[in-house]
Amino acid sequence: SRGSVLWRLRQHDSLPARALYSPLVTMTKLKQWISTLLVLMLIWLCLVQDVLSLGYSQKFHDVILPLPVYLLVTAGSYMLGTLGLRLANFNDCEEAAQELFQQIQEAQADLASKGLIL
Amino acid sequence: MVGAKRASISEMATGTDQVVGFSLVVFSLVIFTYYTVWVIILPFIDSDHIIHKYFLPREYAIIIPLAAGLFLLLFVGLFITYVMLKNRKPAKKAN
Repeated sequence: SRGSVLWRLRQHDSLPARALYSPLVTMTKLKQWISTLLVLMLIWLCLVQDVLSLGYSQKFHDVILPLPVYLLVTAGSYMLGTLGLRLANFNDCEEAAQELFQQIQEAQADLASKGLIL
Repeated sequence: MVGAKRASISEMATGTDQVVGFSLVVFSLVIFTYYTVWVIILPFIDSDHIIHKYFLPREYAIIIPLAAGLFLLLFVGLFITYVMLKNRKPAKKAN
């Protein structure tokens, strides 16, 4: 696993430990998400402000401009759709629930006989 | 033994769950398709095509999601406030 690789690297004192840790390995998921979003936002800003003076048609500009909001709406609808799918596929296990309840009763009776009242 | 029991259970989710789940999926697909056509495909279609009749002016493509997002945040904030106010413990009275 990633953690054990870093632990083994750390044990070699000949190299400075920091030098072996590339950002991609040590970054937490939050930092990965934020850096990706930051890079995309910078690209979008450069395109909107026409920093490189590439001279786009008005149509291209009309499509580029709402893209962050489009990303938000896409992410939101993906989350909603996944939620709906999981809700529709989640099974009720009637007999397993009853079996569990019965086992809880047995455990309570057993503990009560040994002096612990729950 | 548990496996033999499980074979006899119907493994379907309850009815309302399925209806709600699938309607959520359909709803999200409709929203996604409408929005994609609105934002990405419409600018490339001539302005005298009949399809433009079915879509609002494109400024609303930015205003509506942002307003909806703000309303969602407002609702979440109000809900949190309500739950926190409901769970306040009453101050203890001195004997």
